[in-house]
Amino acid sequence: MARAVELARPEPRRPVRSAPPAVLLLLPAGLFLVVFFLVPYVNMVRMSFLTKAQGAAFANVVTLENYLRIFGDTFYWRVIGRTFWLAGLTTVLTLVLGYPLAYAVARASGPRRPLLLMLLLAPLLVGAVVRSYGWMILLGRVGLINQVLRALGRGEAELMYNILGVLIGLVHVYLPFMVLAVAGALEQIPPDVELAARSLGASPWRTFWRVTWPLSLPGVFSGAMLVFVLALSAYVIPILLGGNNVLVMPMLIVQMLLDAFNWPFGSAMAMVLFGLACVVLWAYVKAMNRALRWIPR
Amino acid sequence: MSATLRRLGFLGTVVAVYLFLLAPIAIVVIAAFNAGEYLRFPPEGFSLRWFWKFFASEPFVRAFWFSLKLASFVTVLSTVLGGAAAFYVVRHAGRFRDLLRLFLVAPLQLPAILTGIALLIFFYSVGLGTRGIVGLLIGHTVVSIPYVFLMVGAVLLRFDRTLEEAARSLGASPWTTFRRITLPLIQGGVISGALFAFITSFDQFPISLLLVNVGNTTLPIQLFDYLRFSFDPTAAAASTVSVAMSVAVVWLIHRLVGLEQVTWGGPR
Repeated sequence: MARAVELARPEPRRPVRSAPPAVLLLLPAGLFLVVFFLVPYVNMVRMSFLTKAQGAAFANVVTLENYLRIFGDTFYWRVIGRTFWLAGLTTVLTLVLGYPLAYAVARASGPRRPLLLMLLLAPLLVGAVVRSYGWMILLGRVGLINQVLRALGRGEAELMYNILGVLIGLVHVYLPFMVLAVAGALEQIPPDVELAARSLGASPWRTFWRVTWPLSLPGVFSGAMLVFVLALSAYVIPILLGGNNVLVMPMLIVQMLLDAFNWPFGSAMAMVLFGLACVVLWAYVKAMNRALRWIPR
Repeated sequence: MSATLRRLGFLGTVVAVYLFLLAPIAIVVIAAFNAGEYLRFPPEGFSLRWFWKFFASEPFVRAFWFSLKLASFVTVLSTVLGGAAAFYVVRHAGRFRDLLRLFLVAPLQLPAILTGIALLIFFYSVGLGTRGIVGLLIGHTVVSIPYVFLMVGAVLLRFDRTLEEAARSLGASPWTTFRRITLPLIQGGVISGALFAFITSFDQFPISLLLVNVGNTTLPIQLFDYLRFSFDPTAAAASTVSVAMSVAVVWLIHRLVGLEQVTWGGPR
């Protein structure tokens, strides 16, 4: 088709100004991201090996001290551990809660479909501060849930400013990401495949576990990876819903940078979080590839 | 278990999870229109007093206008940068296409809080500091470019280039072809990318947290600072404004291009 048009082009061609090289299209964004994204990250890595100076944010003295201090102190290990298991638990819970939703979205048709999508995307676009605030109204000491409990004569429950509150907030904020990823994979499965399994006598459960679930695994894996990384770096939710009772790495890092004004140590903590996340994700991707190998494509 | 029962169980689960997803947002909106200091059940009557308090509060109003201004600049800048890059990657990139794509969406893959920290240190290292709007503008644009890139890239991939060639062979200049043929055909992707960039900036928290400065506070940061010390429903009114913004964006995308584009239309 393109060839035919090419041949039909009237000759001789009008003199055209020679088109500017296409690279000019890439240059603005490319340069912008190199200067304001790549260079800052490299600079942060460098910063993590420098020393804190008296009265200044850093001094140009290279050292491993920051890393040794983090790895040598059990306090940091505990915070790192908490950060990772909270992210892991969040991932599992978003999957359990999100899967049915994803299935409903993927199989919906007609006018119901845009409605389900809209109800999913609208919360996604509402900022984490606003959503945490909504939970504060619900979970607080004088919040709605405790009002109901008191009215029923059940006393009060500590729902916020502890791990439970943080977990509720994390699951809530990152749920739509999981649903979208899983729904994307479920969309790809032709409904005929499930019908075939059913018509051959498989029970609905068996159809799900032997056909639908394995075929949706790519979406499950990519959704889990996304949610895990997002939950690892969550800052607003642990602060607003955990008070200062649930300390996670991003809180310590921001404190170190903005309050203690210790850039080298803050950068080193950021690098440790980043490095450990990479190790976990690397192991995860390896396991994932092994799990996906037996799926026929 | 009978089929109807199973179906009901599934429906119930879906409804329950949707309620979980929407409840806190609905609660914020209800609290904003509620007359009392605390949200009680049943509510104490309808009132706009918290909205008046919001509009009378100088810090909130200033933060709101600042966020709006910032998000508008970010939208324009990231749409131009991300859109042009999408053209290059889809149409002209050769060997390095995958690498380029990886690089252009990287700000989305890395935690925004780390990007904010890296930028804060960088701005001070080069002596720029974070005064004024420039630091925030740059930071927000970095994380908005990937959205525009992905959404414009998605429509470009499906673009039938023979249409452009037809226009050119009929004598249209490259610019006319772009304006009359290409742009109208890809505008869905451009608009949804721009809207996403807008809301990414308007709701941006981690990057703003590190780059804001006295006198230039964004609405989410102002809200966050307020919530740490007080619970009063002025915050709910401010949140409602932000919820309304997000709902408007989703609705606009739905009307203009359809939500399908946004969710899994992007090139993977």
